[in-house]
Amino acid sequence: MKLTHYKYIILAAALSATGCSKVLDLQPTDKLTADAIFGDPAGVKVYMANLYYQLPIEDFAFFRGGFNQNGGDPNNGGFSAAMGTDEAVHTEFGDFIGDGDFHWWDQGYKLIRDVNLLIDYIPSLKIRDDEKAALTGESAFIKAFAYYALAKRYGGVSLMKKSQVYTGDAEALKVPRSTEKETWDYVMEQCDIAINNLGTAKSRRASKWTAYALKARAALHAASIAKFGNRITLDGDAVAQKLVGVDAGAANGYYKAAADAAKAIIDGGGYSLFRPSPATPAEAAENYRTLFQSPNDAASSEAIMIKGFTLPGANQGHNYDIWYQPAQVANGWPHPGRMNPTLDLVDQYESYTTPGQASPVNTRVDGNVTDYNGFNSGTAYRQFDNPNEIFKDKDARLWGTTILPGTVWKNTNIVIQAGYVKPDGNAVIRTKDQITIAGTTYHTYGAADVTMYSGFDTYGGNNTRSGFSFKKFMNQNNPIVPGWNQSTTDWLEFRYAEVLLIYAEAVAESGQGDAALAAKCINDLRKRAGHTTTIALTAENVQRERRVELAFENKRIWDLIRRREFHTEFNNRFLHTLLPLQDLRALPAKKYIFVRVNTPNTNPKTFQTKSYYRYIPGVGSNGLVQNPQY
Amino acid sequence: MKKLQIILLASVIALVSCKKDNYDAPSAGLSGKFIDEATNEQVQMDIIRGTRIEFIEHGYENPQSQFMVLKNDGSYANTLMFANAYTIKISEPNFIPIAPQDIEIKGQTTLDFKVTPYIRVKDASIVKNGNKIVATFKLQQNVINNVQKIGLYAHADSRVGETMRLVASEQNLNAVTDPNHVYTLEIDLPSNSGQLKPGNNYHFRIGALIGIGGSKPNYAPAVKLGV
Repeated sequence: MKLTHYKYIILAAALSATGCSKVLDLQPTDKLTADAIFGDPAGVKVYMANLYYQLPIEDFAFFRGGFNQNGGDPNNGGFSAAMGTDEAVHTEFGDFIGDGDFHWWDQGYKLIRDVNLLIDYIPSLKIRDDEKAALTGESAFIKAFAYYALAKRYGGVSLMKKSQVYTGDAEALKVPRSTEKETWDYVMEQCDIAINNLGTAKSRRASKWTAYALKARAALHAASIAKFGNRITLDGDAVAQKLVGVDAGAANGYYKAAADAAKAIIDGGGYSLFRPSPATPAEAAENYRTLFQSPNDAASSEAIMIKGFTLPGANQGHNYDIWYQPAQVANGWPHPGRMNPTLDLVDQYESYTTPGQASPVNTRVDGNVTDYNGFNSGTAYRQFDNPNEIFKDKDARLWGTTILPGTVWKNTNIVIQAGYVKPDGNAVIRTKDQITIAGTTYHTYGAADVTMYSGFDTYGGNNTRSGFSFKKFMNQNNPIVPGWNQSTTDWLEFRYAEVLLIYAEAVAESGQGDAALAAKCINDLRKRAGHTTTIALTAENVQRERRVELAFENKRIWDLIRRREFHTEFNNRFLHTLLPLQDLRALPAKKYIFVRVNTPNTNPKTFQTKSYYRYIPGVGSNGLVQNPQY
Repeated sequence: MKKLQIILLASVIALVSCKKDNYDAPSAGLSGKFIDEATNEQVQMDIIRGTRIEFIEHGYENPQSQFMVLKNDGSYANTLMFANAYTIKISEPNFIPIAPQDIEIKGQTTLDFKVTPYIRVKDASIVKNGNKIVATFKLQQNVINNVQKIGLYAHADSRVGETMRLVASEQNLNAVTDPNHVYTLEIDLPSNSGQLKPGNNYHFRIGALIGIGGSKPNYAPAVKLGV
């Protein structure tokens, strides 16, 4: 035994004697050096793929928890950004926008560091000059995208214009926040570098046109903050130092930048709307639906940048189909039906009979569309022969975006019914019940069994409580695969329609630019949606058009923020539901009536002005000035 | 047996290796009231999204602000604070702003604020009149700014207010008010029967908001009525 101890002592002595030699200073074999990656064009390509993966693209894997929420545990209940706005409610959650939602700080600076490292290396790469220019442009595009995503969340942020080198002094690495205006100007500057260096070839990587599109989007955001900043009052150090907010005087400059960038695409990009002249509204609805189910069909027309979801599986596929298709087509998946488009959104769509204005769903003979107190047997309701006749003349995009009661989806009649009115005038609503009259049995939810309907029964949280289910982006061709990350629908990040809307808005809000072209922009979109009349260019018309054209593309939340409309739109606000009821008083005729109500089991929502900016994480250690009221 | 000894030894080491906690639990606290300096009444507040007390603890680099909310009756209490020096600020007041102050908090400390509310809601009366809830009141404003809006708010909870309501009847004034004018606001019960269900009791409160950015409404005390 004693001998063993000696052995250890000798071993220790031997180790300490040899410890000073460099025998252990090996190059790690599980890490690549910068030279090894950037020295090889193929290495650059791999590195670039990783940067694109990190881009803050608000796609099918974007939720309040952040980006790329399709690996690890993707179970977030399917609570999408649309449910933080007036576009949709969740079947179960009543949540609104919390302080911890929609952050992108650590990941943002990680992407910026990664792209800065590449930018440092570009001059020393052994590649052709045109390849260097392309890399320079692409890096600037990524950097602009990153700072755009930071600015719209946090206002003015620390601008890391070069990669930092740690020399033992952590204090030297701390960069104070720039003003919000300086941050937006830096985004513009990076976009210009991208525009000047990138080519015009179309692919899934950045081109001159994607850079223009990003610039237009970012400039419109900055312009709106400048123009509508006076709709709110924030105070504190961050305001005094102009870290949040942009002076009103800067609005027209940004609107011009947005309009110019959009016009460059309109004039020179060779883009057009996908299937711009449908023969009928029904064809328009199908075209619009197809555009989002198969963005690649629009690769030569409307698509400016597509992000692919190529393979099913973690970090690759997404979960839109399992979360959002109606309950009847769940195909064994236990949690479908989560996206419930609101009546508030449905009201916004124009009617072909009254072009140029929102057309609230008129349920009553007296035309009252503001009474949300529920069914009243004394009220005269309009009666309809089927559960979707009431939407007959509504904009095709409503039919392409939502699944309406009693319409067909995947060869299935989607039943959405909230109850019935018995012959004696008493209604049974949102309660499972049945009644037999003259030998026929009627069910409150429109069918006998929970597998045969998609509305209002709270069973499993699977049935819509707004009266509408979801169609846009949904894959109609294949049955749902009941598992995580199985959807591979591609995401249209930039499309020509948004460019047209940006041009129209910039002109309508600032009075600069070509008003006739701007009016044509919104009317081309309306024409594609089956409208045959034109409407005037007004700020209100542009916003309504934007809401219906870009619905559920994760734009509304930022529109409410940049235009400083969130706190007035959401001041103790209930969102609304349309209850389809079968009116058994009309028997033997089969008649339906509709009742406008506050969405059941929800509380009013209020947006706090501080939420226009997210809080800056980690001010205790990074020493940055915190945003107001956090 | 030897294994058991090792386990025992390890647990003894684990138990003595650190103290139970590095800090004592917070034992101090701060409480008090916001008092109208002219009338000596407590200033009515909102419990959610209302005026808040911001307190910053001294002795740290880049200290983060902490906040406490006020009760509807204008009182506040936080009984679990660390004894230390603090800077106290009032964020988004419904009274003429007061300067930040430093305070040493030791034990349960009391700090009352004498303030001048932007608006006093005077001679307030809320009654049920037939199918309507009718509120009448006068406004006495203590700053020259416009009164932005007045409102009558209803909720099942006694902490009713602009931020917490089932039904509101609001009127935008955007004008300087006459202290002798009697304002009337009404809530029609039949047309709000979905929210104010007949036969139940609800709380009603009159509010008035001054047109100063970042300010909060002033109120009269809430009244409970059956509808």
